[in-house]
Amino acid sequence: MTDTSLETGDATALERVVTSTDANTLGRYWLGAGSLALLASLVAGVLVALERLDLSGAEVFGSADEVFQFWSAHRVSLVLLAVVPILVGLGTAVAPRQVGTDTVAFPRMAAFSFWTWLLGAGTTITGFLIDGGLGAPDAGGQRQAVALTMVGLLMAILGLLGATVSLLTTIVAGRVPGLTLRRIPLFSWTLLVSGTFWLLTLPVLAANTVLAYVDLRGRPAVRFGAEDAIWEQLSWAFTHPQVYAFALPLVGIAFDVVPVSVRSRLANHDVVLALTGALGVLGFGAYAQTFFDTPGTPIMREAIYVVDAFAAAVVALALVGGLADTLRRGAANLGGRPPAPMVLSVLSMLLLLGAGVAGALRAVDPLDLLGTSATGAQMTLTIGAALVGAMAGTLWWGDRIFGKSSSQGLGLLAGLAAVVGVLLVGVGVVLVLVGALGWFANGIKRLTGAPAPADPWGGHTLEWADDPSSVEVTSERPLLDARQTEGASA
Amino acid sequence: MAAGTEIAPSAAPLARPRTLLVGTAFATGAAVMFFGALFALYFSVRNDTLAWGAEWFPEGAIELKPGGSLMSTYAMATITMMWAHYASRNEDRIHGYLALGLTALLGIAAVNQTVFYFNDIGLPIDHSVATTLLYVIVGAHMVMTGIAVLWMGLVLLRAFGGQATGRHQDLVISVSIFWYSAVAVFTVIWLFIYVAK
Repeated sequence: MTDTSLETGDATALERVVTSTDANTLGRYWLGAGSLALLASLVAGVLVALERLDLSGAEVFGSADEVFQFWSAHRVSLVLLAVVPILVGLGTAVAPRQVGTDTVAFPRMAAFSFWTWLLGAGTTITGFLIDGGLGAPDAGGQRQAVALTMVGLLMAILGLLGATVSLLTTIVAGRVPGLTLRRIPLFSWTLLVSGTFWLLTLPVLAANTVLAYVDLRGRPAVRFGAEDAIWEQLSWAFTHPQVYAFALPLVGIAFDVVPVSVRSRLANHDVVLALTGALGVLGFGAYAQTFFDTPGTPIMREAIYVVDAFAAAVVALALVGGLADTLRRGAANLGGRPPAPMVLSVLSMLLLLGAGVAGALRAVDPLDLLGTSATGAQMTLTIGAALVGAMAGTLWWGDRIFGKSSSQGLGLLAGLAAVVGVLLVGVGVVLVLVGALGWFANGIKRLTGAPAPADPWGGHTLEWADDPSSVEVTSERPLLDARQTEGASA
Repeated sequence: MAAGTEIAPSAAPLARPRTLLVGTAFATGAAVMFFGALFALYFSVRNDTLAWGAEWFPEGAIELKPGGSLMSTYAMATITMMWAHYASRNEDRIHGYLALGLTALLGIAAVNQTVFYFNDIGLPIDHSVATTLLYVIVGAHMVMTGIAVLWMGLVLLRAFGGQATGRHQDLVISVSIFWYSAVAVFTVIWLFIYVAK
């Protein structure tokens, strides 16, 4: 592995940690920090859920403003401090290997991006905890703390953008000869698609945040920084359709895991490429801001939004259909106990389909679901699907990333708890927290686990090869090709 | 060397596409989207304000001359950047240093002009929604220009170290992509804020 960190001979452990530019190490950092942020986010979600249960004697919060602050903290941190960073971590560790290299492009920038994001995540959480957050309906937050939250959010966005540029450049420019874009593994492909849309939408969120911050600082806000308006102009990033763009890599995880698990090729690889590209386009949510409302007609009631919602559901259904077809054709190879990552990745796809259906129903005007809990349910299903997909991904590639084995059973139980929690929505966040704790515990257990085999699954793609540069790439499954050629010649 | 002994040529490195250019294209795309968002908000809020019959900028508050002067500066810097690219392609180091240095100088001049004008403009940032947007857009663009100038300084340093020759054009091309984008963004600012107001 290429590592431009300080020479290990003289460097202290702390210096080695801070200066590491190794893709695998950075991937582990993102995964570790993202999972800690996930736990913090879910704790905030549990507190809000308890408040909503209206249990007598369980006065969790002192005011409606506090409830709102924790509710928005839960949403923002779940997306920007937890699920997206975890997917970036998986991508940083896995995608370079999938395209046949052992390092990310611009490794120093990749490391700088992680530390910037980490500092931003810490600042954002601190801002929320000291009565800041992203404004409040009754303007109950402390202005300085609200400003601090926005500075943290900007740093987190900047870190995610830097990491994404590094990751996308690796996928585009770091491929071994023969590995055309049509042949790259689907996890890398979905990272390329979703990362492109992160680069197109996170700057829009940053622009909104800068505008609110500048308006808020040092003087009475004119409009954008008014504390009862901040969330309104940032909320598009945490709801339909933008959440699809954040969750898209889960599709790549499922389509990388399932064919290997059932020892079958994907029948329609190019169709899946096109469908995931379409889902990325449909997940571009920067247009769905209240600022772009036509007077009298909210953007959510306009044709583009409704068509987007229905098209996303259709694409999700087609993707689930493709996965089901692969499962059907390879069912005979599956055996009695399907691998835990396969079970979880299939469930994550079903959750995504549920999210698509919820999003489509929400857009039906006569049902009048806009502004109801259907909005939160759709977001929970989508981000929950991404979380379960990430859990499947860490179980699948974890042995390769950490070099140590973990408990597949514990991983499966944790994932199932998260799935049930996501389906229950609302108070189900308690189960999601239990699942996340199980997943985290499994990750800790892995650090002291037994050495893992290099390729426990019989993988089809380059990340499982000991020397990717020695593999001839003539299709999207080069290792399977090599095995079949060897089998034929034997 | 003993007769008959041959040294096998070392394996050629894998042919990599132009990593720096690809990365710059992604980063520049993100920067352009940042301004795209601000422009979209500007036009949307301006449209709503004018539809209500309210004033956007006070009459005569935004003068044409400072904007025109800035646009001229950026236009000149575009030509000098093309000169730098041409010099790099032809391995003409002296012209390369001159052109990059001039472009950076014009960038600094543009920042200086902007700061001078906004100290003199007489429109406080909290005067209205319009001025808040104006300050954010112009301020963000100054940051973009500053980043481009720093980047040019870095390229100049590497050029002095011999890394910006015709065989290493990616350095100059990458900074030029970012610079042209900064000029394109300013062109929108000039046309729709300074001229059309």
